[in-house]
Amino acid sequence: MEELKKAIVEFCESGKTKTKFYFKDIEKAVKDKVPGAKTLQIKKACSALINEGVLIYYSTGSTTMYGLKGKGITEDH
Amino acid sequence: MAFEPKRPQKKLDYQELRLFTDEELKNYTEEEEKNFKIKHDIPELEQLESGPWPSFVADAKRYALRRRKLGQDNLLINQDVVEDLLGQVELSYVHGETHWKHGGIVGVIGYGGGVIGRYSDVPEQFPGVAHFHTIRVAQVPSKFYDTDFLRGLCDLWEYRGSGLLNMHGSTGDIILLGTFTDQLEPIFQELAQVLDVDLGGSGSNLRTPECCVGKARCQYALYDTQEMCYEMTMHYQDELHRPAFPYKFKFKFDGCPNGCVASIARADLSFIGTWRDDIRIDQDAVQGYINGEFPPGGGSHKGRDWGKFDIYEEVINRCPTGCMSLEGGKLVIDNANCTRCMHCINTMPRALKPGKDTGVSLLFGAKAPILEGAQMSVLVIPFMKAEPPYDNIKEIIDKTFEWWMEEGKNRERLGETIQRVGLQRFCDVLGVPPAPQMVKEPRSNPYIFWKEEDVPGGFKRDINDYRSRHAR
Ligand code: HEM
Ligand code: HEM
Ligand code: SF4
Ligand code: SF4
Repeated sequence: MEELKKAIVEFCESGKTKTKFYFKDIEKAVKDKVPGAKTLQIKKACSALINEGVLIYYSTGSTTMYGLKGKGITEDH
Repeated sequence: MAFEPKRPQKKLDYQELRLFTDEELKNYTEEEEKNFKIKHDIPELEQLESGPWPSFVADAKRYALRRRKLGQDNLLINQDVVEDLLGQVELSYVHGETHWKHGGIVGVIGYGGGVIGRYSDVPEQFPGVAHFHTIRVAQVPSKFYDTDFLRGLCDLWEYRGSGLLNMHGSTGDIILLGTFTDQLEPIFQELAQVLDVDLGGSGSNLRTPECCVGKARCQYALYDTQEMCYEMTMHYQDELHRPAFPYKFKFKFDGCPNGCVASIARADLSFIGTWRDDIRIDQDAVQGYINGEFPPGGGSHKGRDWGKFDIYEEVINRCPTGCMSLEGGKLVIDNANCTRCMHCINTMPRALKPGKDTGVSLLFGAKAPILEGAQMSVLVIPFMKAEPPYDNIKEIIDKTFEWWMEEGKNRERLGETIQRVGLQRFCDVLGVPPAPQMVKEPRSNPYIFWKEEDVPGGFKRDINDYRSRHAR
C-alpha cells in the first residue's frame, strides 16, 4: 500500500504542465513502476490519499480526475 | 419476500425538522405577486411565459418574491440567487453563449461524486450565482417518499441553497440546483445525519441505480426491481462514491420488457425482466376479448371509438415474430419464437400472462450521443435468475467492471469499448456463448465469428486433396 501511494504521488508530481490526471493514466504509471500492482489496489491507495488530504478529486460533472492538493486549481476559482 | 433494510430505517417527523413556519412558507399575496418585478430586466425570458405551457420563468419569479419576503436574515446564501440566475440566463440568451464556468474542485469529504461545481463568469454582475453548484441526492427505489422527508428536504434547501430543485433529473436523482461552496459540507451532514439519505453519483463512477415501480404496484414485474436496485446500490458503494472508471456507468432495472425506466436506451447495463417458460393462456378470456366482453389494453385507449376488437388486427398480425395464430378458435403461441415483447400480454392482460419461470435479461452498452451516436443496449445474456443475494449477477458485473477498467479508454462508455473491440471479445470475457439474438442482421454485423478451435479439423485444408475433387 505505501509503495503504491508513493508511486501515485511521484506520478502526480512528475506532470510538467498537467496537474489533473485520469485514473487510467495513474494506473498505467503505477503498474509500470510497481509490477504486479492490481487495479483495485491502486484505487484503494488513491482513496486513502484522498482521505489523507494529499490528493483531491477534480470533477467536471461527467468525468473525474485526481490531482495533488496545492498543485494547479485547488480552491474555488 | 419482505423487504429487509441493511441498516435501521429512520422515522422522520417534519415538525421536528422544520425551519420555517407556515406563515413564512406562504408569505405573499396574489396582489403582491402581480406587481412583483425582479431586479433585472428579462424580456427574452419573459417571452417564454407567453406559450401554452407552465413556464419555469413564472415559477422562478414567484419563488424570487418569496425569498425577498423571507429576507436575508432567514437565508444562508444570497437572497437574490433566483433573480441573479434569471438575469444571467437572460444575458446568455442575448449573447448566444453560456456564462457558466465548467468543473472544479467541489465535493464533500471522501466523496468523488454527488456535487457538480459551476461558477458564473460574470459574478460582479450576478453575485447571487457566483457559485451555483448542483447536488445530486440519491432517490429511493421507485421514488416512494414520505412527505415529512420531502418537506424537510425543501426547508433545508431553501435555507442553505437556492431553493430550486428538480424532481428528478434524468439520472434519477433529486437535483438540488445552485449553492455556494461553504454550504456543501453542512448540507451533506444534514442530508446524511438528519434526513438519512445519501448523495447520488456524478463523474466517472457508478451513477445512482434506478428501477421501475416493480412489484410495489405493477402486475407485470417479473422480479423484484426495488430489492435488486437496493441490493446493488448498497453492494457497489465504493464504485458509486469513489470514481475510478474510464467514464460514467449506469445500471437501470426494468421489471418487464415494457421498460418503464427505459433501461435499454439509458443504461450501460440494462436489466430487463423476462421469462423462459411459456406464456400462460386462458382460452375463455381470449374468447371474451374476441366477443367484446373486456376492453383491450385494460381500457387504456377508451378515449375514442376504435371499432370492434379484431384479434388479428390488434394482436396476431402485430406480433413482431409472427409466432401467434388462431387454430379452431384457440389462440396458439409458438413460444420458442416469441421474443417476449409484451404486446399481446399488454393488449389482453386478462387472457395472457407471462410464464412463471422468471428472471432477467442483461443488455449492455446503451448511451446518449457523445463520441459515437446514440446507442441501445445489446442483448448479451438472454436469461438469468434474479434472486437475492444475486451472486450470479454480481459475478457478471464484477467481470464487466474489471474488463472495462482495463480495456476502456478515458471518456469511453462501455458500449463504445464493446463496439471498438467487438462484441465477440466481450462475450469471451464474460464466458457467454454467442446466441442468434445477438445478431442484428446477417452479413452487415454478425459480430460473432467461428474460431478455429470451434471447427472440427480447424481452418487448414489440403489444397491438393481439395483440387482432386474440384476443378479450378
Ligand atoms: C444446403 C444448402 C444451402 C444452405 C444451407 C444455404 C444457406 C444460405 C444462407 C444462410 C444464406 C444467407 C441468407 C441471408 O443472408 O438472409 C444464403 C444466401 C444465398 N444462397 Fe444459399 N444456401 C444453400 C444452397 C444454395 C445454393 C445451392 C445456391 C445457388 C445455386 C444458393 C444461393 C444463395 C444466394 C444467391 C444467396 C444470397 C441471397 C441474398 O443475398 O438474398 N444457396 N444461403
Ligand atoms: C453487371 C452485372 C452485375 C451487377 C451490376 C451486380 C450487382 C450486384 C450488387 C450491387 C450486389 C449487392 C452486393 C451487396 O450488397 O452485398 C450483388 C449481389 C450479388 N450478385 Fe450481382 N451483379 C451483377 C451480376 C451478377 C451475376 C452475373 C451473378 C451470378 C451469376 C451475380 C450474383 C450475385 C449474388 C449471388 C449476389 C449476392 C452476394 C451476397 O449478398 O453475398 N451478380 N450484385
Ligand atoms: S417495466 Fe414492466 S414491471 Fe416495471 S413498471 Fe413498467 S410494466 Fe411494470
Ligand atoms: S410477447 Fe410479443 S413476441 Fe411474444 S407472442 Fe406476444 S406479441 Fe408475439
